[in-house]
Amino acid sequence: MLRTSIAPGPAPTVYLAGEMDLDCADALREAVTEAARGAQMVALDFADVAFIDSSGTGIFVRLTLDMKSQGTPLVARNLSAPVRGVFDMLRVRELVGDEVFPD
Amino acid sequence: MAEETTATPVSLQVYRYRAGSDRVEALIGALGPELPEEDLVAHADEALKRETFMCYAVSQADDFVADELCFVPQGDRCDILSIRTNGWERHHGDHRRSLVEILNNIAAAVACNKLRILDGEEVAREAEEGRPLVEFAIADTPDLQRARESVDEVLRQAGIDDINRQRTILCISEAVTNMLLHGGGRGDMTVRRLPDRVRFVVADRGPGLNFLNWLEPPSQSGQASMGYGYKIILDYLDAVALHTGPRGTTLLLDRTTN
Repeated sequence: MLRTSIAPGPAPTVYLAGEMDLDCADALREAVTEAARGAQMVALDFADVAFIDSSGTGIFVRLTLDMKSQGTPLVARNLSAPVRGVFDMLRVRELVGDEVFPD
Repeated sequence: MAEETTATPVSLQVYRYRAGSDRVEALIGALGPELPEEDLVAHADEALKRETFMCYAVSQADDFVADELCFVPQGDRCDILSIRTNGWERHHGDHRRSLVEILNNIAAAVACNKLRILDGEEVAREAEEGRPLVEFAIADTPDLQRARESVDEVLRQAGIDDINRQRTILCISEAVTNMLLHGGGRGDMTVRRLPDRVRFVVADRGPGLNFLNWLEPPSQSGQASMGYGYKIILDYLDAVALHTGPRGTTLLLDRTTN
């Protein structure tokens, strides 16, 4: 299960914790939508994501592309080791663009 | 051009030739008239005699992308993989993996014996090997987490190291997700202990693997195509076997224990 918490502000951060699989779409989208209100960009913090699979990755990719087209880009920070491994394997950087990973 | 194609845009068929026979049987898909059986038998025979993998490009009259035909000798039989593209090309801006790339991965995995395609009798036999440890039904997305937790426990008890445990759990998540999305939405997972491995049997009674559903646009929830899942499974597990047909799909996922 994915848990989310938001640090608000002009450049809010959504802290993600737990597991990102097929089940995480609604929780992720709701948190990002809430954080994006009035914001110029939104950061996602992956430090406490213990597990992600290709569905969780696909949900992140889709959301990142949607937010970019809506003018509130997402950036991804503090990738945990499991997230980094799967993102590298699935070449996520090529799918969403280098600017999503500013670190 | 691709949009005008009403037939399967890209598909994988797998046939099997047994040495000394004069025919081939279909393991995945059906044998179409465009591939004469006697030609397949002759090539399969040659691959078996030469004990070597053979791959051909096959051009269809209205198809500018050559299709592929691979012959994989395996002792007394030869598996034949046919990848048909029907002129399908990846669209600009399409962020999904190319289907042709996915199918080539699968063909390569069969060629190096990482992935075995099983017929009905073989899968029935192999799915019963060893001692059952855990068995449970999969019916909804919360079952994904339950499946992962259960697998984690089994692998810990089997003494699998952290990296391989995490990789196996990821693969189980992928296989169960495929079942939920493409396998009729429900099925069973059984964990079995064999002398040298832990085997995960993931079985559904869905309509069989349909390579068409890789082409559907990502749905509202943003699922990536199942091609990614298969890449992970083939990269991270020690051995994989697949049976698929109109009465369902079964995956055997093995983690060796030494």
